[in-house]
Amino acid sequence: MMATSGIANRVKTWLISTWHVKVPDPWLEACINWIQEENGSSLLQAEINKQVFEQWLLTDLRDLEFPVLPANITDSLKCELNGFHAVQMDSLVDISLPAYSQLQKLKGKDSTNEQVTCTTQQSQKPWEAKPTRMLMLQLTDGTQHIQAMEYRPIQALNANLSPGTKMVLQGTIVCRLGVLLLKPENVKVLGGEVEALVAEYTQTKVLSRLIGVEDNTVAQHSNVQE
Amino acid sequence: KVVLRPAVRFCSHRTAAEMALRIPVQKVLCVAEKNDAAKGIADLMSNSRMRRREGFSKFNKIYEYEYHLFGKDVTVVMTSVSGHLLALEFMDHMKKWHSCNPVSLFEAEVQKYCPDDFVNIKRTLEREVRQCQALIIWTDCDREGENIGFEIIHVCKSVKPNLQVFRARFSEITPRSIRMACEHLVQPDQNINDAVDVRTELDLRIGAAFTRFQTLRLQKIFPSVLSNQLISYGSCQFPTLGFVVERFKAIQAFIPETFYKIKVTHEHEDGLVEFSWKRNRLFNHTACLVLYQICMEDPMATVMEVGSKPKSKWRPVALDTVELEKLASRKLKIGAKETMKTAEKLYTQGFISYPRTETNIFPKDLNLTSLVEQQTHDPQWGGFAQRILERGGPTPRNGNKTDQAHPPIHPTKYTNNLQGNEQRIYEFIVRHFLACCSQDAQGQETTVEIDIAAERFVAHGLMIIARNYLDVYPYDKWNTKIIPVYEMGAQFQPTTVEMVDGETSPPQLLTEADLIALMEKHGIGTDATHAEHIETIKSRSYVGLTPEQRFLPGELGMGLVEGYDSMGFQMSKPDLRAELESDLKLICEGKKDKFTVLRLQIQKYKQVFVEAAAKATKLDEALSQYFGQAAEAVPQQEIYA
Ligand SMILES: [Mg+2]
Repeated sequence: MMATSGIANRVKTWLISTWHVKVPDPWLEACINWIQEENGSSLLQAEINKQVFEQWLLTDLRDLEFPVLPANITDSLKCELNGFHAVQMDSLVDISLPAYSQLQKLKGKDSTNEQVTCTTQQSQKPWEAKPTRMLMLQLTDGTQHIQAMEYRPIQALNANLSPGTKMVLQGTIVCRLGVLLLKPENVKVLGGEVEALVAEYTQTKVLSRLIGVEDNTVAQHSNVQE
Repeated sequence: KVVLRPAVRFCSHRTAAEMALRIPVQKVLCVAEKNDAAKGIADLMSNSRMRRREGFSKFNKIYEYEYHLFGKDVTVVMTSVSGHLLALEFMDHMKKWHSCNPVSLFEAEVQKYCPDDFVNIKRTLEREVRQCQALIIWTDCDREGENIGFEIIHVCKSVKPNLQVFRARFSEITPRSIRMACEHLVQPDQNINDAVDVRTELDLRIGAAFTRFQTLRLQKIFPSVLSNQLISYGSCQFPTLGFVVERFKAIQAFIPETFYKIKVTHEHEDGLVEFSWKRNRLFNHTACLVLYQICMEDPMATVMEVGSKPKSKWRPVALDTVELEKLASRKLKIGAKETMKTAEKLYTQGFISYPRTETNIFPKDLNLTSLVEQQTHDPQWGGFAQRILERGGPTPRNGNKTDQAHPPIHPTKYTNNLQGNEQRIYEFIVRHFLACCSQDAQGQETTVEIDIAAERFVAHGLMIIARNYLDVYPYDKWNTKIIPVYEMGAQFQPTTVEMVDGETSPPQLLTEADLIALMEKHGIGTDATHAEHIETIKSRSYVGLTPEQRFLPGELGMGLVEGYDSMGFQMSKPDLRAELESDLKLICEGKKDKFTVLRLQIQKYKQVFVEAAAKATKLDEALSQYFGQAAEAVPQQEIYA
């Protein structure tokens, strides 16, 4: 028991110092026990550290019930988040484009015929041509949910990140109306995913919900057209 | 000195000079595609001194005159056909709709014959050719024209097997181009003829098989609605219909979404300036509200960038058929079919060059200056034409397509004696030509970019410096938009900063111009046939037109497309037909053999037919959505009995 605790403390320190990840003791101990059962008790500390971290990446933070974000952060009209907060992203969506057109593209529907309209000379205003992406993220620390928007373009993010991806929010982040305004220096993606969320928050499902259709009815619709 | 036009595709053959005449020629039979053309050409060749005679057909006169040909003076007998002289049909025992299972039409024997209406024309040719030693084909220089030429040759050679045959190549009925054609006679192009033969035969087989199949079946199944309706099928018609249905369904399936944006205005002593958000719009209310609040807390605007750059509005590219159809439809509200009919009339009267062309590059040796000169007398655009000449001459804006056969559509003769649509189309072609030969409109575009609380907004202004081609081309609009001068780094308090919302909207129903664009994009039909296919789906009530002249599928059209779609075929999709069109092109270029293509395409469509017949109930189901319960299911076999 003492041995386990010693290992656990070292893992805990390592998680915080390396990744800014905080985990509850009972989960950590259960995790170490399980790793040792699987691999024998002769594992090196570094190996245990690594495996615990990997387990955490694949865990739904809801299961940990371990608050990381300041309490009631979403209640204030305007505040700041400071320091390091390891959170989980449940889903994300680009809000600079209509969900409908994103869905059509995802379904591989060739909509180029739709763009043929009666303009022989392009009248599109050049400055309206290409909106920059703005991702809207649903984040959670397991106890509290919060939205975050891509206030400035962030290369580390993309719409294909797996639901359940873990990331560290760092630095000073403005929070307004319950939305964090992310800049590139505020986000470090750690990776991982949550199996249960992967099925639930596919891009297709997220986008379908936004426009009030069930995913399968949309699929049927497009079958008729193809 | 006369310069030769660039060697056209058809000219890969020997010219007349090199073609040794087997028999000395005293009398030459010339045959044009239409009486108007025969008359126009005869008029030019004879300097208006031709003698007119009657033929057996009262619509096709005979013009006789002397002309210097083959190095000597010969007598020319110029007459005409009225388009195709021969048609293709099944043998008698297959002609009755109930005579056979339509699937056999894919292999049944076919024959060329002369329809009753054209027998008199044929008799004229047979009579006239007897006294002639040579035949010159003067039909339009396009695929159909080449094919008509071979029909004429067939008829004439049956009477006179040792007849010597030549082809005249011309794109306009003008003195120069007719003279050039006479000096450079070529041989008729067998490849092009083959391509048209293949298309004709396929159209007959596919059209007849599917038309009989679906008409007989659906009349029996929906007797109350369709008993008197011919439900035709054509391999171009259906994809054309398919585009209309596809667009309609895209509109039905469309789901509108609300978006939000931030709009900034600034009331300046020189007017109100509107700044648009560089993010354009966001589909999330909260996200937009957050940014809006940030702006509202500190709305002071700072000018970050002031730009000014020359901007030109390009003059139109040399005119080809598809552009003529599209522009006439959009700008003059004249449909493609009417446009082409009118343009052809203008051509046979010698006012414009041949209107069926895929070329939008002016040949280097075409004397544009003299063409512009002709227009200087016009009270409306004469001054503009004059200025082109005074400012260094025509500078055509060329595109990048050429069919190696005809130049872009251009006026060949000045006239102010036209009425109605003929006048409007002629005027359009002239204005387009002059615009194309002039200069782009020049302007100066200014942009001002401001920053409000780290959000960026832009305003654009435009000053027109030289209208140039716009002066002769009222079909294009370009408006000056003045914005005041902003100093870099200057700060100001915006008059309004608003968060506004809007909704996305579905695409619109197709216009005729859109439909032509889609047909061209997918290779359905040719520039010569777009208008016809569109006309067919209208006349079959597969589609209708809204008051705004946009295409709306009818119930029958919807049902047919949905029925075939549900069978899993791409019959309303362009691919099958597009493959055929590209094979036809290869035949024309001598890269593919007629019989290979014919065999392959018949096989393809036959297979589709067999499967369609097997799944025929899908068609009933689709149509019953619109026409109510189907009559009792009928086995396909019983339908032909
Ligand atoms: Mg013709």
